Amino acid sequence: MFYGAAEFSRDVDLAVLAEPENWRRLNEALAELQAECIAVPPCDLDYLRRGFALHFRCHHQEAGGIRIDILSTMRGVEDFPRLWKRRLSLTDPGGGIYNLLSLADLVKAKKTQRSKDWPMIQRLLEADYLIRRKNPKPHDAEFWLGELRTPDLLVECARRHPRQCDRLSARRPLLAHARRGDVAAVVSGLAEEEKLEREADRLYWQPLKAELEKLRHPK
Amino acid sequence: MLAPEDVVEGEWADWYRLTPLERWHESQKLWLHYLAIGGSLDPEPDTESPFYDGGTPSPRPVDGRSGLRVLRRRGV
Repeated sequence: MFYGAAEFSRDVDLAVLAEPENWRRLNEALAELQAECIAVPPCDLDYLRRGFALHFRCHHQEAGGIRIDILSTMRGVEDFPRLWKRRLSLTDPGGGIYNLLSLADLVKAKKTQRSKDWPMIQRLLEADYLIRRKNPKPHDAEFWLGELRTPDLLVECARRHPRQCDRLSARRPLLAHARRGDVAAVVSGLAEEEKLEREADRLYWQPLKAELEKLRHPK
Repeated sequence: MLAPEDVVEGEWADWYRLTPLERWHESQKLWLHYLAIGGSLDPEPDTESPFYDGGTPSPRPVDGRSGLRVLRRRGV
């Protein structure tokens, strides 16, 4: 919502540091929310460290029924201390503090095998680019050229930042098409990028999914 | 330069024009409205997620009904 792509997921995803002291505090918070672990894996620090997500449903009166998923590591995303350094903090009028993944990290975390994540990435980048393109900060052009998924905006961005575009073309080949204004080739390039990332995510999850299946059906 | 309407439809363009903080406040209003009309807190089943488990139990809505209701069965 905050970054511009509204997804009505009805659950809360929390990224946490998987270390013993933080685990203790996390469990205190979950107890306060009367959160029940509702799916495999069991609520255990080791699973969190190994890349699994833990799934809870709250029973506290003020949070009744709310689902919480807790993760510590995500494919393609840096480790928690680096995420924490780059976080974006919001304070509400009541003094509540919300620490959000940076936009760049959220985009990386959304590159999954799920179809619904890809339009979200596109919208996140569109909102950021359209609002801030007139006054970009030093690394914005590199970020947009590396991540935008809207063909027309990629072409526009390539025209506005030709030097960065040429420099980044080796890392992202479709930028060469964007530089020439070849929208059809950019569309094909984006589809290929998505296909490769989704396949990489499927492969990453294969052993973890097998382990989850064993936990669901022990015999 | 392309306008938001050149790449997305009207409501999305309006949404993009809000500042991040305005979006945050608008989403809070929508959330309260959703709860006020009895919206379900159950996430949509996500069969593509590696965490998907069709056997995960769901809570019953407070009114005991489904979050999605048939308002009209026949045409106008």
